[in-house]
Amino acid sequence: METIKNYLESMFASMPNTPEVRKAKAELLQMMEDKYNELISEGTSENAAVGTVISEFGNLDELAESLGLTKEVEVARGMEAEMPRRFISLDEAKTYLSNRNKKALYRALGILLLIISVSFVILMSTSKASALTGVAMMMFSIAIGIGFLVYSSFVDHEWKFMRRESCSIDMNTAAYVKDKQRGFEPVRAFCVAIGVVLCVICWTPNILIPFRYEPLGAGLMFILVGFGVFLIVYPNSIASGFERILHVNEATTISGQYANGSAYVKPTKYKSKTAQTVVEVYWPTVTCLYLIFSFLTFRWDLTWIIWVIAGVFHRVVMINCVDDED
Amino acid sequence: MVEISSDVIRGYNDTMILCILMKGPSYGYEISKQIKTISEEKYVIKETTLYSAFTRMEKNEFIESFVADPGPDGNGKKRTYYRITEKGKEYYREKCEEWALTKDVIEKFIEH
Repeated sequence: METIKNYLESMFASMPNTPEVRKAKAELLQMMEDKYNELISEGTSENAAVGTVISEFGNLDELAESLGLTKEVEVARGMEAEMPRRFISLDEAKTYLSNRNKKALYRALGILLLIISVSFVILMSTSKASALTGVAMMMFSIAIGIGFLVYSSFVDHEWKFMRRESCSIDMNTAAYVKDKQRGFEPVRAFCVAIGVVLCVICWTPNILIPFRYEPLGAGLMFILVGFGVFLIVYPNSIASGFERILHVNEATTISGQYANGSAYVKPTKYKSKTAQTVVEVYWPTVTCLYLIFSFLTFRWDLTWIIWVIAGVFHRVVMINCVDDED
Repeated sequence: MVEISSDVIRGYNDTMILCILMKGPSYGYEISKQIKTISEEKYVIKETTLYSAFTRMEKNEFIESFVADPGPDGNGKKRTYYRITEKGKEYYREKCEEWALTKDVIEKFIEH
């Protein structure tokens, strides 16, 4: 029966994803299933039954005609012939997902180190002598953090083609990924919830800890935020890997239906080349500004505000630089 | 062995389906099975042909569809059933007359 389902799925793959087509697919599957079950109950071997059912299926041109989809099917076939989609097998999808997990981990760790780097300086600022060690530790933490971030962008390098080329997956792969995605969803929800809580309660050490240990409170705040952000970024980044795989098929066709019901992040479209440059250098520039200001003024307790302002400003930049079509 | 040409039979798939529906509502596989039995296994209707005929005839209001549980022999799954309408019955009778005429004409050119 699996073979029949796969056969039907591949026949319908390039048909437009409309209620009529979905109904046609379901009805045809029902008829094929009935025929298959009867053949099996008559004592036909499984292989022979599958063979009979498939040979008596007919062809989709006729169906496309009666559904008024002749043109759409022709267009889809023409596109396929002109620009064949790169097929991603189940094994490839598995490798891709494990690479994405690695990428997610390094990215989240990198961000974590960058955020908590500040806390070293604050925690060590109690005396002049230890302050220098604090700065050294911060630089070390930043260096490793940036290292992780850079590494994370190389981990899935071999999968860059997924952004440029049209790809396709089959039903088995989609079912596998969908299953993984479903299993991961509670984990993600749990981690994000904890992460948000950590970010929300980050100021409590400042209140609970007596005033004379002030640096301890401020330092703990950054550590809480760091881990909070880690718990938000890591699982979301893994989840986006599932999304990407499920969205490789053309969304308007039947094969694109696996992606239904989940928000899809489209590849960003910039309004102009300049806009793209602005967005790309935005965060590195902010990081530089933060470091320059901090080292010039040595007011680490104040300069973190740059991140808050930059965060708000980032939204403004994105609105002005990115093309939102729909 | 001579096989039936799908080009020739195309115009009469609807007639066969309507004939079966004249006896009462039925669903996809049941109809295709009956076509096979009645034609003494000389004609097997393809699934796509059958479904295309359903959609076309439903659009023309010759048949209506409804969802129901199958009879005691079914496995309890809900299926789409089709029933013939008054318009469909009228069309069926027209097709029968048309065939009688067609048969008459073609017959004159067939040498036995």
